[in-house]
Amino acid sequence: MPTDPKALAYFAAGIGAGLTIMGGAAGIGRLAAAAMEGIARQPNAAGDIRGAMIVAAGLIEGVTFFSLIVTILLAIK
Amino acid sequence: MILGRLAALAAATEPPAHEAAAHGGAEAAPHAVGPAEVLMHHVVDSRWGDLVIGPLNLGPTKHLFFFGVAAALVILVVRLAMRSYKQGIPSGLGAAVEALIVFVRDDIAEKNIGHDGRKFAPLLLSFFFFILVAALFGLIPMPSYDFKTGHLSLAGVTSTGNIAVTLGLAFISFLAQQWGGISKFGVVHHFLGMVPPGMPKALLPIMIPVELIGMFTKPFALMIRLFANMLAGHMVVTTLLLLIPLMAAISTAFGVLMIPISLALALFIMILEVLVAFIQAYIFTLLTAIFIGMYAHPAH
Repeated sequence: MPTDPKALAYFAAGIGAGLTIMGGAAGIGRLAAAAMEGIARQPNAAGDIRGAMIVAAGLIEGVTFFSLIVTILLAIK
Repeated sequence: MILGRLAALAAATEPPAHEAAAHGGAEAAPHAVGPAEVLMHHVVDSRWGDLVIGPLNLGPTKHLFFFGVAAALVILVVRLAMRSYKQGIPSGLGAAVEALIVFVRDDIAEKNIGHDGRKFAPLLLSFFFFILVAALFGLIPMPSYDFKTGHLSLAGVTSTGNIAVTLGLAFISFLAQQWGGISKFGVVHHFLGMVPPGMPKALLPIMIPVELIGMFTKPFALMIRLFANMLAGHMVVTTLLLLIPLMAAISTAFGVLMIPISLALALFIMILEVLVAFIQAYIFTLLTAIFIGMYAHPAH
């Protein structure tokens, strides 16, 4: 286990990036699945569902990027 | 895109067999800029002039200049669109711009702020068009000459990929949200109305800090969301293109093989970035409208 703080910071940044993408992709995947099912059940509402899906995806990605910023700070300091 | 840097890197990392004997390791030090430095050099702001007033340096920087160019372009496009109005019916550019404007005014401003939403429509339109144009500027390769090191490079400049720029945008959004409440209810009732009525008094010590913190985290989230999306997107494109000289350092054949792969990947990501530019502009505007609506019409 490296004890040099810089090495630990890079290590933590790598793990952080992996965890970040796990959470973000899981959330957006569930969102996409629900949107597909909704459109399949009611094709008339496809436009509304698509709009709501994009907004929700943008918000989830926003949260993902918060933790990505923390990871990047670890990697560049 | 980064032809200048590509040439420098390829030259510096050529099989050092014939160089090592003559120069040893000293030659490598001034030329060996790693991919991380090149990446950072392309996405981070760089100062073009100094104008020190007190503790502030108000000199022009890359992002400030292109921020101004984006704003000027928005004004120019709208003026040109206005000119194409003949008897109330636009044509060509005017029709396209009008479609977007009507979309923002009706679906975003009026739907979320209510019947007095048109008051805020100019602000929301400014946000939408400015963020969109600034993001699209970041995808256009601009030749830029770095005076310090004398390298010519071609890269896009995203002014919204700078947290200071998005901080400014979020601050204006914050002021608009507060104005949404204060213009209707006055300062005192705006703050009093934040706490939902008909709620047991015991919950007040919890609700007041929650509402106050919420007042600040909403624009903060807007700021980080836009900044991180723009920065990450352009870093990915630059990284993919940097793979070419990186592979060329191992062997020239790898470098040449890498060119079509890297270009295809970078092209795909750039197309995605166009979509992301639209989506981020839409989300920033939509969320600002929703928050203004929350303060103008406390729906509790």
